[in-house]
Amino acid sequence: MSKAYGGVNALSDCEVRVEEGAIHGLIGPNGSGKTTLFNVITGYERITRGEIRFNGSEITNARPDRVFALGIGRTFQLTRIFGRLSVLENMLVATPRRGGWLRGIVRIAGSAAERRRAMQLLEFVGIARLAHDRAETLSYGQRKLLELASLLVADPDVLLLDEPAGGVNPTLINHLAERIRDLNKSGKTFLVVEHNMEFVMGLCHRVTVLSQGRPLVSGTPQEVRSSPAVLQAYLGGLDDTATERQLTARGDPVGESSAPVRPAPPSARPAPTHGRRERVKGAQPLLEIDGVTTGYGGGDILKRVSFEVPEGGITCIVGPNGAGKSTLLATISGLLRPRVGEIRFRGRVISGLTPRQILKLGIAQVPQTHSLFPDMSVRENVEMGAFTIADSRRVRERLAAVEELYPLVRERAQEKAGSLSGGQQRLVEFARCLMLDPALIVLDEPSMGLDPQMRQVVFEMIETMNRQGKTILLVEQNARAGLRLSSHGIVLENGRVRLSGSGTEVLQHPEIGALYLGGAVAGEGGRGDEATPGEGDANLSHATDAQRG
Amino acid sequence: MKRATGSGSGWRVLAAVAALAVALVFAGFPLLVTDSTATSIAVFTLIFMVATSAWNIFSGYSGYLALGHAVFFGSGGYAVALAARDWHVSGGWEVFALLPFAGIIAAAIALPFGMIALRTRRHTFVVVTIAIFFIFQLAAFNLAFTGGTSGIEFPITPFSAANYNQPFYYVALFILVMTVALSWGVRRSRFGLQLLAIRDDEDRARGLGVKTGRIKLAAFVLSAFPVGMVGGLYFYFLGQIFPQFAYDPLFDVSLALMAFLGGIGTVVGPLLGSMVLESLQQYFTQSFSGSGTYLIAYGILFLVVILLLPRGVVPTLAQLVANRRARALTRRTEEVADSGPAVRSGVAGAVH
Repeated sequence: MSKAYGGVNALSDCEVRVEEGAIHGLIGPNGSGKTTLFNVITGYERITRGEIRFNGSEITNARPDRVFALGIGRTFQLTRIFGRLSVLENMLVATPRRGGWLRGIVRIAGSAAERRRAMQLLEFVGIARLAHDRAETLSYGQRKLLELASLLVADPDVLLLDEPAGGVNPTLINHLAERIRDLNKSGKTFLVVEHNMEFVMGLCHRVTVLSQGRPLVSGTPQEVRSSPAVLQAYLGGLDDTATERQLTARGDPVGESSAPVRPAPPSARPAPTHGRRERVKGAQPLLEIDGVTTGYGGGDILKRVSFEVPEGGITCIVGPNGAGKSTLLATISGLLRPRVGEIRFRGRVISGLTPRQILKLGIAQVPQTHSLFPDMSVRENVEMGAFTIADSRRVRERLAAVEELYPLVRERAQEKAGSLSGGQQRLVEFARCLMLDPALIVLDEPSMGLDPQMRQVVFEMIETMNRQGKTILLVEQNARAGLRLSSHGIVLENGRVRLSGSGTEVLQHPEIGALYLGGAVAGEGGRGDEATPGEGDANLSHATDAQRG
Repeated sequence: MKRATGSGSGWRVLAAVAALAVALVFAGFPLLVTDSTATSIAVFTLIFMVATSAWNIFSGYSGYLALGHAVFFGSGGYAVALAARDWHVSGGWEVFALLPFAGIIAAAIALPFGMIALRTRRHTFVVVTIAIFFIFQLAAFNLAFTGGTSGIEFPITPFSAANYNQPFYYVALFILVMTVALSWGVRRSRFGLQLLAIRDDEDRARGLGVKTGRIKLAAFVLSAFPVGMVGGLYFYFLGQIFPQFAYDPLFDVSLALMAFLGGIGTVVGPLLGSMVLESLQQYFTQSFSGSGTYLIAYGILFLVVILLLPRGVVPTLAQLVANRRARALTRRTEEVADSGPAVRSGVAGAVH
């Protein structure tokens, strides 16, 4: 099947087969089409080409309620429950109709038998005692359990779970895995999208890896884990040989292993190494993240994260999906407050300030999704970046300076921002954030959705800005390209800093693959977490150990 | 669903006694109070209680803010006026017999209206209902059979001047009882649960097998019926119908405001809201006719409620009661499976 969104192929000739009675895992990097696949199966989105068959009959583009009636239930990545209904009422929504439509209107919701069954299922997932509470008062993990249980009421044959373990604490993850196994034994088929590799590898019989809208590898967890193609897909760099050549030509020896990885406890400043990294001047870190723990409502996403962003450098944060990268940036820009710990900018505590105050201090952020106003002209968009500056002469000066760096802004000043290509929009976003002349520029996935050539242009622009004295902190899905560009690298995994060092050091570290795919890359099918510490490079900064101790 | 977590029976007895007292007051009102100003205020109030309660069956439960129910109100009025004129119905109780017909006409209009408007969601839905409303208003002004701006007269009622309001009062009360029963029944039914699910998360509801299109349309049509009936009653009470009163945008806004004041999505809230607001408004209008003072008072009341009780009177009170009950209960042990910080307000399945 294929699915296209305005020229971008979310799924292209994607063929996935799920055997009856299996627990089938679906993994893949961001934007590989996992959730889109769920959406087209359950009828929330239509496919442009191809077909979907269930038990031999075609269900292509059937409406969601029909798909559910046929026996396919799904959960959502961001848990969706009916907040203002009680937990028990949530369970009764999916009860199958008995009798005609008139009875449905007249009859009281939930017969005694249905209520009993609902209570049994709540018992099964372990939240029966909350049955009469309003669903919105549940914690995040409890909501996940409720969402699952509310599907079971209708007794579907197939359950599609979108990140069941996302943002859930380890105890509950185990509990959830047990329940899934129990249900599987009783004959239910599962298709599970999940970023928690341990969870997927431990639970699933088969795993399919999606990359760029098509299946890359399909096999047992063992096979998938040891497949080099999978690692490539996660770390990126398959298609950016151009970038590689460029960077190599500039005298940055990629591939030649340099100094061994230094021990880099989170609080220590990573030592600058050779080459262009010597640009890294002053010893003062520009931004310090100090023991930050935070999350949204339910569980903590970041767990005692500490690192520093040295002034004048490019610091790149990489890590698998759900590691907490975007949460970290949201915390830095003030959208989210650290529950524990603090963030300092030039030595001054900024955690707790409003996003506007932080912006005024000189931290500008370019978000992951396109944030230009599509119906405004390019010039207007760039000027919007300076709306906190009252002095119009200064705005003109800044605009001139920005146009100097970004001729695009002058050349296409009157065009609507929405008419530019994705990469050009990205550059206009950079230009906009430069209007305030910030000291630190925070970029969230600058290369996302760009083709290799445009990605190279964007990366060059990042380097140029850096050369002109801007400190850059970026999050990058394409770990290889991002780290190659950077003077410093941080690997975030499961809300913790797992590795830190210079860009190349982190990039060439043998453990990085394991961090992305959970467990040792080619090792025994052990639990990655327990297998890794100390076993590999003794110099490795395993923040886990320190923090668990 | 009503299941108290604490001493449920005590509350239930209290609620039953209160309900009985309210019923007695409503039934005996025109016998006790003979002042015609007061009883006419009471008739208007009952009519708005029906309309708000019916509006709430759709908008309150499904979360779709409809601002076009004046279409059903006015069309119900025209249906009775035209039927009485063309079928030569004489005044009096026979006109009341036409009210179910008004309801059917309103429901029949609601069917295509809903099919068009419910293709959209949220703000777009609101705008579409307003647009359709204006189409009807324009039509009423310009079509020949509505009598244009000169309107239509109802047949003369034979009721004595002293007790003129009484029949209207009891008919309105009867319709109100039926509407409240409907609202309450829907709230408890599987159908109602599906509406509430749509309100909270329509896409998820679809994913759980709820045929959202049909459910919403059914609720829309169902909510139009009582509005059409009281529309017929209202204009019969006034004795004539004109387009500008039949299709009055203020009517739409009033229903929404009254429901919000009392507590949207509950059975009792819209009743309370409309009872307070409509009677106050009528009282102010009749006491200081011509001047706009009542509008100021109205506005102040509204601001106070929005600021202090943004969810409406009834849900806020229910929350207070529930919180008190929850405090009385010993704190339940934390869920074993999850140590996450669960906030408990102890609202047990919203008892209203």
